[in-house]
Amino acid sequence: MNIFIHELKSNLKSLLIWGVIVVVLIVMAVSKFSAFAGDPELLGMLDSMPPGLLEALNMRAFNLTTLSGFYGVMFIYFGLMGAIAAAMWGSGIISKEERDKTVEFSLVLPVTRGRVVTAKALAALVNCGAFVLITWAGSLVAVRSYNPDQAFYSFLALEMQAMLAIELIFLALGLLLGCAMKQYKLSGSIAVGIILVTYFVSIASVMQENLDFLKYFTPFRYFDAGELFRNGRMDGTYLLLSAAIIVVCVVGAYMAYGRRDLYI
Amino acid sequence: MSSNIYRHEFRARLGSVLIWSLGLAFLIVFFFSLFPVFADQAALMNEFLARYPQQLRAAFGLDNMDLASVLGFYSFILLFAELCLAIQAGNYGFGLVSIEEAELTADFLLSKPVSRTRVLTSKLLAALTSLAVTDLVVWVSTLAAIFLFREGREFDRPTLLLLLVSLVIFQLFFLSVGLVISLLVRRVRSVTPYSLGLGFGAYALSAFSGVFGEVALELITPFKHLDPAYIVRHAAYDTPLVLLNVAVTLVSLAVSYWLYVRRDIPAVS
Repeated sequence: MNIFIHELKSNLKSLLIWGVIVVVLIVMAVSKFSAFAGDPELLGMLDSMPPGLLEALNMRAFNLTTLSGFYGVMFIYFGLMGAIAAAMWGSGIISKEERDKTVEFSLVLPVTRGRVVTAKALAALVNCGAFVLITWAGSLVAVRSYNPDQAFYSFLALEMQAMLAIELIFLALGLLLGCAMKQYKLSGSIAVGIILVTYFVSIASVMQENLDFLKYFTPFRYFDAGELFRNGRMDGTYLLLSAAIIVVCVVGAYMAYGRRDLYI
Repeated sequence: MSSNIYRHEFRARLGSVLIWSLGLAFLIVFFFSLFPVFADQAALMNEFLARYPQQLRAAFGLDNMDLASVLGFYSFILLFAELCLAIQAGNYGFGLVSIEEAELTADFLLSKPVSRTRVLTSKLLAALTSLAVTDLVVWVSTLAAIFLFREGREFDRPTLLLLLVSLVIFQLFFLSVGLVISLLVRRVRSVTPYSLGLGFGAYALSAFSGVFGEVALELITPFKHLDPAYIVRHAAYDTPLVLLNVAVTLVSLAVSYWLYVRRDIPAVS
């Protein structure tokens, strides 16, 4: 419990910074949405563009002139930010002890290593949840002036659940990296590598049809905003896949940290 | 310059340079290999787009993107390469001197009979060499990708040169801005969150200004200062914005020297 509270406190500043960034992004984007709300000519142009390009610009399947369509386009940025934040929190919360030379101190406390990981993981989880709530609340406030209908609110709720799912995947990955990597510097670098690679893979997988199979390798495609919008729910296969990734990573993290040699 | 520091710094970064370079080479060649299929589709789209009013096309940044041409497509994938380059240069910039403090080696380094100015110069030159190596790899893989996959389509060679040179200016911006920010804050605990924030922040800003045609954003993000699409369309740099970019780089460097010489370095207790 003490570790949990300590970690919450020391991550508060980082959470606040991320919160401010996402709110600024939302306010900026929504204020620009006014420029083309309800413009029929724009709709015609979007319809005539080839799907490959729209995919590359993350604009497929959306009627940009409605608020829901606009938020569909925004989703990839929420997902990206959530992924970066979660991966950094997950890997940092474990590896910072070695970086700051405090690991001997925290591991001589009368708690098992497993409980240390649990407390830290829970603190990072709370951060991820709070980040989604900040995004959600910021969106609700920002779109008020457009008087959105009920459909938009339920779509927003769905998007936020998907964002949380993406965050959880990357949080679990980050935790595994933080626990398993001998050198603390490596865990952050590898997390960056994974984020960049999965993001580029998600772009490549939509640019060409015969690369479509790549979608199983990138969490950014598991929760495609267009699919969410059409189906009104998250795809079961991908939810299972995400859950599997998360479970494997978390179990791996506990196993690795339990028997790991410390880097001092 | 102290050649010992230079060599040590360069060696310490060698692995990172290697990974980034290979990753970038793969990224460029892989994305460019999609060009032949994409070009036919894009040619169709250009006809469609021509029917819509110019302001509307401008709002989406589509009027200056011709994906059917070699350089148009290259400028599109260059955006992703730039994102990587920004993060790499940011990493080197943020970590250049802050890493000594994080790893408690700063007082060891500064007790050497070398002035702080020389320390910083040696470190900067080592980082520049690392970035130059990455650039070389990017240039070579660009040329290879274009000659492998252009399928007889012509392109303007001087413009390609402009694009490739713009990468150097782009990297220097992130290197020096990273360095000055790392000296402005009291303590950089971990480099990656900073460089990711700076890199992805600038990238997202430019993506938004592309889609929504906002003018003011162009001033803040280097992705717009050296916008590949603009360079391809005009076969020239957007001179005022590039000058602004270079000015920010130079000022950051000067301020960094000023700050580093006066910096209070905590000793290991």
